Amino acid sequence: MSGHNNHVDNSVWSRAILMAGAILTIGIVAFAALGLGVGSVKHDTYDDAKAAYYEAMDDPTVSESELEHLHHEEIDAHLSYLTYWVAGITILIISAIYAIFLGIGGFINLIQPQDDHHDDHHDDDHHDEHHGSASPIIFCFGVLLFLMGFPDFVEALRALMSQGGTFAAGDLVLSTLGLTVIMIGVANWWREDLPFIGYGEQIATSAPFEGEHIRKAGLWVFIMSEVMVFATFFSSYLRVRTEWCTKWAFDEGKCSVGATEGDIVLTASDYLRPGGAAGTGDFWTMLPGAVNTFALIISSYTIVLALKTAKSKDWEAPKGVMRFLLPDKKTAVRNYLIATLLLGSMFIVLKLVEWSHLVAEGFTVGTVQGSIFYVATGAHGLHVFVGLLIMLYLVFKADTIGYDEDNGQGIEYFGLYWHFVDLAWVVIFPAFYLY
Amino acid sequence: MGEHAATGLEKWLLDKTGKDIYFWNFQVLMFFTLFEVGAVFFEVIPGTDIAITRFMVWGILIVVGIIKGYGIAAYFMHLKGDPRIYTRTALFPVLFVLLMLWGIGLSNPEAVTELPSWCTPDWDYATKR
Repeated sequence: MSGHNNHVDNSVWSRAILMAGAILTIGIVAFAALGLGVGSVKHDTYDDAKAAYYEAMDDPTVSESELEHLHHEEIDAHLSYLTYWVAGITILIISAIYAIFLGIGGFINLIQPQDDHHDDHHDDDHHDEHHGSASPIIFCFGVLLFLMGFPDFVEALRALMSQGGTFAAGDLVLSTLGLTVIMIGVANWWREDLPFIGYGEQIATSAPFEGEHIRKAGLWVFIMSEVMVFATFFSSYLRVRTEWCTKWAFDEGKCSVGATEGDIVLTASDYLRPGGAAGTGDFWTMLPGAVNTFALIISSYTIVLALKTAKSKDWEAPKGVMRFLLPDKKTAVRNYLIATLLLGSMFIVLKLVEWSHLVAEGFTVGTVQGSIFYVATGAHGLHVFVGLLIMLYLVFKADTIGYDEDNGQGIEYFGLYWHFVDLAWVVIFPAFYLY
Repeated sequence: MGEHAATGLEKWLLDKTGKDIYFWNFQVLMFFTLFEVGAVFFEVIPGTDIAITRFMVWGILIVVGIIKGYGIAAYFMHLKGDPRIYTRTALFPVLFVLLMLWGIGLSNPEAVTELPSWCTPDWDYATKR
């Protein structure tokens, strides 16, 4: 479909279901390879290392240094097993969520009667005013229902996964209803946006945004509200951090008089940083956080390239190997978006691998320093994940309708959100991981 | 993004190198991230005996954070080039963020012994309580 044709056939949504199937298949294969394949081998190694360590503990002839060596081997084997298992299960879960999100959204739109199709524009006049949309209100109502039932929802899920408590089907109702309403709102949103070809963008008619696109102005206001959300985490962190007697503060005599090494509070960076106070940090513990930082910056650049390509009037395919990846403008935009999606997904996988290592080493959410770390970095991870769900739709649109110089603002507005997520990481990474 | 004509530094870079400002911004961000992580990996400045102290790490992290933040906001988010109202919108919460960092972040009496008195909200109340 060309950029100036606003007719979208319902059958295009079957492609979303196909994409969902492909994503789920990739997730299952990755889980089989990493979680079940390599993971089970690593688990056997871990079992052997654990058995050797426990045997040595009961053996009076084993020296202290040998025992310590065996203990380190056991820890290394455990962390190595966790790396593959958590990576595998995380890829499976996020693939399943992507597939459900894309598949259900596509299915809802596929079964809509063709005549009922909502067009924002008329063929004879591209400059019609963009209609208002009920989708955001439906979406927000769904979020309200979901959050109202969330505590019971979590309890029901815990019981379902045999984590304690009694399973009551009724606990699932409100949140499940909320998720259903969210999905309907999202599907309707997609249906309204897919034929949008860039004409009829609402323009603000009064100060201070006079002459500007209302959606862009709204997005900036939204981003500013997000700044406040992250500022609450950061100020809370500062509040408790300044109270702690950290290793650095202890070494420089900044702790209260009479403080001993036993008073030192171990922060996340003490576990992750090479030479950190926990004594476990080395190149490998720092690696996931460092790689994630680069991944977010690269993904910020790929989304810029997607937009730049979409908006380019005289785009030319690159020469050499890149021509296979970027053969034409439409494919290039889609592939840049897929690259962004993959980098963001990698961020989530590495984040959970890193968390599993921290928990295994004793840095749990049950402490103040653990709580603020997991809540702040978890909230950031949630923002990344929400961005990835939105990006699924962008990939779908790039693959079907396509983005061009007229309708590229969809990527631009999403890009603003994505860059903000990167910007938040610029603050979180040094504060929580390096310092 | 594509609708803005390159001017100033953007135009100069494009003319001299054939690469646009987004490419160079990306390079700068990658370099400073490497520098940031390196500051934590090393305990002494490579090739010297000068120890990297806590305050040096602080300084490096803050300066690099400001450079990276500017690069992302000005060029990737395109505040430089877009109408000024977007920059004003972006800066609007700064006052509230500073108030939060001051009023909540530094409200711990243990934290403020080295800070000037104007920077210690409710210090007396907190210590007596």
